[in-house]
Formats: sequence, C-alpha cells, structure tokens
Amino acid sequence: MSLRLVRIDDRLIHGQVVAVWLRALGARRIVIVDDASAHDEFLREVLTLAAPQGVPVEVHDVAGGAVRCIELAAAQEPVIVLARSPRTILSLRRAGVPIEVVDVGGMGSGPGRKRLHRTISVSPDELRELRELERLGTRVQIQIVADDRPIPLRSLDSGQ
Amino acid sequence: MRRKYAAVGACLALVLVLAAAMPGAVLGASSGAVATGTRQITVGAWQAALIAIGYYLANSPWLFGLAFFTLYRPLVAGFFVGLILGDPAQGTLIGAAINVPYLGFISAGGTLPADAGFAGWVGTTVALASGFDPAKAVTIAFGLGLLGTIIFYGRMAIDSVFAHWADARAEKADIAGVALMNWLPGQLLLFVISFVPVFLFALNGPTYVQDALNRLPLWTVNGLVIAGGILPAIGIALNMRFIFRGSAVPYFFIGFILMTTTHGSISLVVVAAIGLALAYLHLSFVRPFPTSPATSPAIAAEAAATTGAAEPSDAGATTGAPAPAQGIRLTRGDLLKSWALWTFFAHANYSYERLQGTGFAHAMTPIIRRLYTTPEDIRAALQRHLVFFNTEPNFGNVVHGTVIAMEEQRANGAAIDDDAINSVKSGLMGPMAGIGDTLSQSTITPILLALGIGIAGGTASGTAVPTLSGATGNPLGAIIYMVLVSIVIVTIGYTAWMQGYARGRSFVTEILRSGTIDRVLIGAGVLGNIVLGALAANFVVVNLAPTVTIAGARMNLQAAIIDPLFPGALALGLVVMTWWLLRRRVSPLALLAVYLVFSIVAAYPFFGPGQANANDYSYGACTSSILHQYSPCGTPPAPSALP
Repeated sequence: MSLRLVRIDDRLIHGQVVAVWLRALGARRIVIVDDASAHDEFLREVLTLAAPQGVPVEVHDVAGGAVRCIELAAAQEPVIVLARSPRTILSLRRAGVPIEVVDVGGMGSGPGRKRLHRTISVSPDELRELRELERLGTRVQIQIVADDRPIPLRSLDSGQ
Repeated sequence: MRRKYAAVGACLALVLVLAAAMPGAVLGASSGAVATGTRQITVGAWQAALIAIGYYLANSPWLFGLAFFTLYRPLVAGFFVGLILGDPAQGTLIGAAINVPYLGFISAGGTLPADAGFAGWVGTTVALASGFDPAKAVTIAFGLGLLGTIIFYGRMAIDSVFAHWADARAEKADIAGVALMNWLPGQLLLFVISFVPVFLFALNGPTYVQDALNRLPLWTVNGLVIAGGILPAIGIALNMRFIFRGSAVPYFFIGFILMTTTHGSISLVVVAAIGLALAYLHLSFVRPFPTSPATSPAIAAEAAATTGAAEPSDAGATTGAPAPAQGIRLTRGDLLKSWALWTFFAHANYSYERLQGTGFAHAMTPIIRRLYTTPEDIRAALQRHLVFFNTEPNFGNVVHGTVIAMEEQRANGAAIDDDAINSVKSGLMGPMAGIGDTLSQSTITPILLALGIGIAGGTASGTAVPTLSGATGNPLGAIIYMVLVSIVIVTIGYTAWMQGYARGRSFVTEILRSGTIDRVLIGAGVLGNIVLGALAANFVVVNLAPTVTIAGARMNLQAAIIDPLFPGALALGLVVMTWWLLRRRVSPLALLAVYLVFSIVAAYPFFGPGQANANDYSYGACTSSILHQYSPCGTPPAPSALP
C-alpha cells in the first residue's frame, strides 16, 4: 500500500503539504486529482512546479486519476494524493481505488458551511459525501499537519 | 495535539510550582546553592510591563509585518529583555540559547507547534532575573513555549467572530469599516490576552522558578542544565529535516568539524563566508544548472500541447496587458498603499474561519476605492475578498498583484467574472505558500537565525570556548539578524507584489520555469548545512562523567579517549541520531520528554556522592553521575578555555 496519504485540501499544494507532510512521510511523488486544475494549463503548470525539486507532481482529472491511483497503490513508491473535495475522493473510491484512510486537511469556510474543527468547514453535501465514504469502509479523519493527533470524523459529526 | 503540547507545558510549570510549595526538607534538598555566584535582578512593575508589551508587539502587525521574523524569535526577544533589565549582552546570549531548539520552527496555515515568542520573552526574563546560565534557561523556556500556544489558539478561535463583523460592514458597502474590523477588535483582544499573562509571569515567574529550583535536589537541577545542552539537538535536527539532504549532507559535517577543531575560535561569520564560497562551487560544479526534473522538456511539451484549452479572455486578462488609456487606472500610490496594508495587517485578525481572509479584504480597500463607485460594486468587491484566504505573506504576494490587475481590467469592462478571480486566488494561494514557506520559513529564517545565534553566543572575547556557560553574549548577533532578515523578507514581498501586478501569470510561470528558486534553495542548503553544523558544535553539549583508572591514571572516557580522536563526536552522534529518529516519524514531543528524563536520570549520582555542586565550573571536581554539566569530568582545562 503506497498511497501514504490521501488528503482533502482545497488549497492542494501549500506549506503544510510541502514543508510538513512531504518530509514527515518521506513521500517521493504527489498526485493531484482535480478536474479544474487538470483542464487549466496554467494551474497545472504552477502545481507541477510548486513542489520541491525532485518531487514529481502529476495533475489528473478524476477519470485519469482513478486509473493512476490504482496503479500507484500497487507500486512501491510512497505517494501523496491530493484532492480539493470529498466528491473527488468518493469518485476515486467508487472507481476502485483502495483508500483505507482519507485525511481531511483543509476545507475553508464560506456561506452555508458548518465548522467542524479549527480550519475545517463542510457544506451539507460534503458532509453527506464524507459519511458515504465512511459507509464504504474508508476511515475519515481530520489531521491538519503530521504532528497533530488524527481526529475521527465520527467524533465530530453529531448528526450521524 | 495542540492541547497535548499545552498540557505538557502546563505539567512542567505545575511541577515547578509544586516544588516551590513543598517544604525543602521533604525533597532533601540543598540550600540555595543554585544562586551562589550568580547575579539576580528584581523585575520591577514597569519592566514587566515593557516585557509584556514586547511580547504583544511580537505577535502584532505594527512592525511592518516583520514581527514574526524579528521580535517573535527568542534571539531578538532576549536582546530586548536584556535591554529592559539592563544586561543586553547576557540577555542576547540567553535568547540565543533558547532559540536553538526552535530553529526548525514553522507555523503554516494556522498551526503552531510551540510559542517560540513566549519562550523567548518570558524565558529570558526568568533566566536573566534569576541569574541562570543559558543551559538552564533552555529547559525552562521550552516548557513555557508549550504553554504559550494557548494564547495563539485562543486568539484564532475568537478572531472568527470579528470576521463576521467585517461581513456586516461589507454588506453596507462600508470600505473603512471592513478595514477597521480587520485590525481593531483583533488587536484589542490580542493585547489583553498577551499582556496580562506575560506581565504576571515576568513579575512573579522568577521568584517562583527560583524557589522551585531551590527546593529540588541538586542533582535534578544539574539534570536541567544537562538537558539544556541536549535539547538543542532537537531544534537542529528539526531544521535538518529540510536541508540535510542529498549532496548537501557533507557540508553539515564540514561546519561541525570546522568549529570543533578550532575549539570554537573561528567566528560564525567566517564559517558563513566559507559556506557562501562552497555554495557557489557546489552550484557551479556539483549540480550544474538547470536540470530540475520539474522543468523537464517532456512536461513543458505536454503543457504546450494543451494550450488551446485555456480560456482566451482569461489568459489575456491576466498577462498584465495595460488597461485602456481612457479607463480608470490604478496609480503607483494605490499599489504601494495596498502592499503596505497587506504587509502590516495580513495577520491582524488571523482566525480559524478565514485565516488571512479579512487581511486580504483590508489590503484591497485602496484598490476598491479607486476602481468602484456604486455601492453595489463596492459591496460585491468587499464580499469577494472577505472569503477564506491563506498564503505565505511575502512570496505569495504574487497572488495579490495578479488579482489587483484583474480587478483593474474588470472595472474597465473586461469580461472577468467572480469565478475567474476566485480561481486565481484559490488556485495560486496554495502553491505560492508552498514555495514561500520553503523559502522564508524553512530556509532563509533558520540560516540567518543560525548566523545570528552563532554571533550572539560565539566567541565575543575571542578566547573562551563558546560553550553555553563560558561565552559572553554579543548583542550584535540579534541586531545583524534583525537587519538581514528584514531586508530579505521585504524585498521578496515587494518584488512579488509589483511583478505579480505588472506581469501576472507570466511572472509566476517564468520564475518557476527559470529554476531560480531551485538554485536559491540548493545554494541555501549548502550554506545552511555548514552554519547549522557549526552551531551544533557550539550548542549541543554532551559530557560523559565517568572516569576509568588505566595504569594508575584516572582518565575520563570522553576527554582522554573519544574527544582526542574526534572532538565533539558524542554531540554529533546525538544530533544525527535525533535527525534519524525524526525521519522515522518519532514525534518531537516524545523526543523532548525522553531527552529531558534521560538528562535528569543521567545527573543522578549513581556512583557515590561526588562533589555535586551546581555551579562548580572547576575541572578537577567531578560528580559520580553518567553525564556532567559544563565539561567532561576530570579534564584538565583546554588552554583556550582558561579565564
């Protein structure tokens, strides 16, 4: 199992990922699954160039990402998978990507969003999608940086 | 986990308070030996108030956004506490020592591993007032740093409320109101929750801690001093996680050996100069530029193949094409004002809910004022920029520059909708923060700090071995660090802002493609390793106490056998082992606890009473413990170490 970290983060690559997680896990590749970024040439290039030297970044849309993740999950190389939303992870899960744990690392606030924990907020749809992931056997936990203790979604989600 | 850090800090503090309350007889403790030969300072009320204001300023926006890089660092805090208490040299030395465990300190996206500022301001005050040497200060300050996170997280939680007040102002299209809500309530709150605890700590802390230490058995106090030499290994190893990699690894050992073989008589500035020269050679010969895999032709070709997919209007709008001559133009003054507002107030109302969201809106106020006139447009613009936002506030200014250019074109009728602006903000803020944090927080700041700490705690007199106990502090270390870091950070922030505005997306891709950042990081890695290695030699102290009798001569294992072969081998071994453990995902907090317990146990006089005097600097006397504070036992003093 080499998908070291499957993370939901609406900022995709940033300081927490590059400066903290990448080092903590010793990961050597970042795979971003995000339709908008995959189809925007500029964003794709920025994301590709934003990781430290020597860490290749791949940007895929959901369909391509699922194929790639299944391939990487079977391989030996330690990988971090990033997606912007629970929906993407749910699609990957349904497409057969083996995801034991999904880490909720960054979901910003906004109108109609409920705060779960510190910088983590969810919309009703997203909460449903996270619950659905749990139902499919993927553990959902909040862990913003590697030194944090993971908090299971279940302990914060009273409505479940 | 944050709660856990705070809990450990609270426990450490509690142990000290309990010890202070316990009758000395119960613990079988000694008699004020701790204080002998040391100079104590009574902290007056006005001094405590100044120190508390200093700590508030360290977290405030009032220093052009530079407080986080300057006053917040224990090296600088130590200098100012020293000034306030009348001994800047000793204050700087203590601050420098306290700073070493925080060399790998990073605060990203609203997380804080420990409050280095609290450790610096309060830790130096307690140590200086009590006449403690820096080694003891390190241990005590570390506990305080964990306790200080409560202030940060309390503020992050409450600031969310003020973001909603800003929302209400935006609803009324009240530009000045949004700006006010970004700084006033958040700063009032921050002042209260910073000033009160630090004032009380500064006023009463020294007495508490002194009482506590006086009641502890002497060997445990020795243990705290030993820990002061061992805990810096954690800070150095945390920082090594970022730079001790690949072909830069040997430079760490070069720095360490340079320092130990010269018995510390080489100045850190000279070490840094050698490091710069080696960085140039390394970039020229070891790793020819530019071969970054990220800019491989394959990827560039792939990117080119999909160029057609980009929306034409969007692409044209953000490449910095000048706005129509007859439209509304932003002046250079607007841009500068906006940049200054951001630089000052990006973190003035840092909250869990929006992070820098209100700061972004505040920075956009001069732009909105210039570009929009109708209440509807103003309201929409304010609301557009009050949403969640977070990036690295210097290199990340590329995002602001780009967004300002888009706003200008939008106001002049270009077809740029909210989505286009939001997608630039949300798409760029993460990657720019990744690069920015790597540059500013995990490369530039630690290297300059290491340099400043080296100068502060180094051989000011040119003769003494720069151990924690022997050196004279040099305030220049703090001052040089402050000046250098300020220049570098402001330059990065200004350039990113202006270039982002003038050239938008093309600036981003150009600077990333050029490999300039990679080169800077690689060169900085070489320099950083050398300086860090030298610093490890100065600040990580392990002294074996046991002696063996060989052929009638009493010999210390370390002094007679290990150090002549490889000076400082034990300290180097400890640092490398700590780095390896951190890489194996051992938590720094667990390491801290283990090292602390180990230091205290290692100070226990297992092998008989020995001459256990906490302030015994003499080389002949020796405890019968495993580790000894200040120097290996039974060693004749090195010639250069004689007073």
